[in-house]
Amino acid sequence: MSDLDDFKATYFDECSELLTELEEQFAAIEAGERDADRLNAVFRAIHSIKGGAGAFGFSALVGFAHAYETLLDYVRDGRIEMSDDVVALCIRANDIVADHVNAAQTGEALPGDYGQEEKARFDALARGEKADDEDDLSGEPMDEFDIEFTPVRVDLDAPAAGEAPVEDAFDTPPLQAEAGHWEVRFTPHRALYARANDPLLLFRELGALGEMDVRPILRDIPALSDFEPFAVYCSWEITLVAPGLSEAAIREVFEFVDGDCEIVVTQLGDEAALGAASASLSAAIETAVTAPVVQLGAADLLALADDEMEDLADAAFAPEAAKPAEADEFEEAPVLSFAAIAESIAPPPAPVKSAPAAVSKPAVAAPNEGDEGHGRSVGVQSIRVDLDKVDRVVNMVGELVITQSMLTQQMDETLRARYTELVRGLEVLAQTTRGLQDSVMAIRAQPVKSVFSRMPRLVRELATKTGKKIKLETVGENTEIDKTIIEQLSDPLTHMIRNSADHGIETPDKRTARGKAETGVIKISAEQAGGNILIVVEDDGAGINRERVLQLARDKGIVAPELQPTDEQIDQLIFAPGFSTAEAVSDISGRGVGMDVVLSNIKKIGGSVHVRSWPGKGTRMTLRLPLTLAVLDVMLVKVGVSPYVVPLSSIVETIQCSRASFERVPSGGKVLQVRGEYVQVIDLAQRFELTTTVEEDNRFVVLCEAEGSAKVALIADDIIGQQQVVIKSLEENFERVEGIAGGTILGDGNVALIVDVQGLRTSIVHRNAA
Amino acid sequence: MEALSLKDDLGDKTAMAAHNSLQLIAFSIGEQTYGVEITTVREIRAWNGATPLPNTREFVRGVINLRGTIVPIFDLRARFGDGQTSPTKNHVVVVMSVGEKWVGILVDAVSDILTVSRDDIHNVPEGNSIDTELLNGIVTHDSRMVGLIDLHAVVSGARMDG
Repeated sequence: MSDLDDFKATYFDECSELLTELEEQFAAIEAGERDADRLNAVFRAIHSIKGGAGAFGFSALVGFAHAYETLLDYVRDGRIEMSDDVVALCIRANDIVADHVNAAQTGEALPGDYGQEEKARFDALARGEKADDEDDLSGEPMDEFDIEFTPVRVDLDAPAAGEAPVEDAFDTPPLQAEAGHWEVRFTPHRALYARANDPLLLFRELGALGEMDVRPILRDIPALSDFEPFAVYCSWEITLVAPGLSEAAIREVFEFVDGDCEIVVTQLGDEAALGAASASLSAAIETAVTAPVVQLGAADLLALADDEMEDLADAAFAPEAAKPAEADEFEEAPVLSFAAIAESIAPPPAPVKSAPAAVSKPAVAAPNEGDEGHGRSVGVQSIRVDLDKVDRVVNMVGELVITQSMLTQQMDETLRARYTELVRGLEVLAQTTRGLQDSVMAIRAQPVKSVFSRMPRLVRELATKTGKKIKLETVGENTEIDKTIIEQLSDPLTHMIRNSADHGIETPDKRTARGKAETGVIKISAEQAGGNILIVVEDDGAGINRERVLQLARDKGIVAPELQPTDEQIDQLIFAPGFSTAEAVSDISGRGVGMDVVLSNIKKIGGSVHVRSWPGKGTRMTLRLPLTLAVLDVMLVKVGVSPYVVPLSSIVETIQCSRASFERVPSGGKVLQVRGEYVQVIDLAQRFELTTTVEEDNRFVVLCEAEGSAKVALIADDIIGQQQVVIKSLEENFERVEGIAGGTILGDGNVALIVDVQGLRTSIVHRNAA
Repeated sequence: MEALSLKDDLGDKTAMAAHNSLQLIAFSIGEQTYGVEITTVREIRAWNGATPLPNTREFVRGVINLRGTIVPIFDLRARFGDGQTSPTKNHVVVVMSVGEKWVGILVDAVSDILTVSRDDIHNVPEGNSIDTELLNGIVTHDSRMVGLIDLHAVVSGARMDG
């Protein structure tokens, strides 16, 4: 059972990748890039999702994906135009597929009629267009061909045909046979007999369809001296006359022996075609004797009208198989031999057990990948690794970094002078460690795309619910960030976008009244800034209503009545716990959580949030996140007797106190004047209630940059130096401590605490406010 | 076959005994003896200093590095309101697990491993005393009173504002 669970887990992993891909493709399609490549990518993604769903028996998902796929197929054939309406319908369909996948994963049932409306629209679209193109045959081979590769097909091998109606609709598109005159060439493989199938039964079934003539082909039987008792030498030619018979009906007879034999079905029309067909047949027969690979005659290749199919055939067969001269000759006679192609490209239909394996490798199994087949080995190769394993490596590298810095620290001057070789060795070790660390971190890095791509859907839903017009823009989605941080990013980002859509963006009429474009824009961007990643959520909405915020904050006792916070401080109040500016608890933001959740989530991963608002113009929320959670470049400072650690990325400069120009403010506190700017001063010893014996003038100011380019001056007793540390969580065994972002282990084995610069700053603001 | 059944018999008896009895690690703070269930104890270390944590209560001595993990140390004497321990190298940290978390308790010395019967555990007399709050029960061993530490209670309320 656990095997199956593993396969399922892999399937859902892939679904999430495929759904991400769908979002991406449709973002481009929406922007006007309506080319075949995009459409094919969409088709492949849906097809892969459907295939896996079939293997696991998620019938609701299969049903919907199937209808969607049919629509896409018609679009691909050009029978349905890719209009804006169709694009919108597809985007909605993606969301529904995502919901179905989610429901299948969590085991929660969706309403029975979920997606039926869209499904009905697909059907209506498909029906409406199909009537006009009754004679169009070109699309059908694709259908027939595709299905050869889906694991669903494997299920059909089983006698129980519970899903047959759904699949049949897909398997057997109405092939427009003009006259029921068919020639079938049936060449069983050894496997057919090995699986105890009897050709006689097949003929009997075939005979039930119409008037049949069966001729054995015995010329392949070798001389008795060469005769292998278990080899198969006999094949048959069958002529079948049945008015109104479709090719699919014939193929259905051979469904159970699919892959274990070769079936060539030829429709016999007028005399010319008849001649051509038999010529092609004999050509196929001749080549089949010499080289099995060339079983597919030139005519067969031509029959694969679709471009992709030709590419596929090119990729799959030796070039000499397609002789242009013959090709002309047989143009009139479509001879389809899908089984042959299927066989040479994909492994024969696997037994049920290995079906999920096929699911996990859609890139290999999907026939449409054929055109990419040439370059397949050139692309980026990747492996799927359990995150735990990577974490172990990251942790070990972390320990290595600690040991390395410990060794370096313990090399005092006398040792350095005496053992130059050792010093050099240590330097190499330091370099290698650094390189190793960077590489390990890169393994965990992922583009933020995986989170960003979930947002368009959110915005669409929010726009629908609020009746607003909202457009989402994303920038820098390829910016890479540590996987653990990415995972923690989804929730805060969702909240922030909700906030923007619900409180920020105005209704279309309000916007027009204010002279803005009807459609509001929410922009999310990601960029790397030093050792940090900045994620910005910006909207061009109404901005924060500061009067209301302040009023609410006062009502809730978050801000004392006598205090008059600055505009910036008021903006930050939306992150205060229990704060919500929504007029009424709405469906969107009134889920009992507010922006304080954003703040606490972001703090948890060592980041910070800053909000800036321009009344009437919009709001900008900035997330500052560490690149990685594991390793940090820091400055080690001493406060009292303990070393403290300040992240190097936030440090602007250090100044000796005697040279710094402090000013007293009326409250008795100090501010520091740096280049005409007044900066809040925090004495770490005082703040952390530590006794210090260092004289004022000998202490140091560490000037740090907090959020929104606000600066803080931290006063420490001494500066010890710079090094790399591995961040360890305090919360793992304790709880969050105000002003402390975590701990780290120094070379001597002691714990040093990491100063939370932003936390110190805001906690002072809150304290003053309270 | 005989030997085997005899062994089984013995095994059963041991299991029975284990079911009703409890093994404790006993440690002392001044004259007083306290105990914790042996299964919660991860290791016992000599006191070697801790990095103090700001904005925490008096009984939080700070954090130590336990093979790469940061573990908080609670001063049990201070937790019982008797003022901070002035630790020496002879003082001991008992590292225990509380739920998912690992914590260290600073005590004067580890004195014994006791086996007591569950039936002998008495309730802590009701009252407003801090003992009621921090003890799960009291058990008598060799005519000495041993307080059973409620670890969850000990580690709670560690923050200044908590």
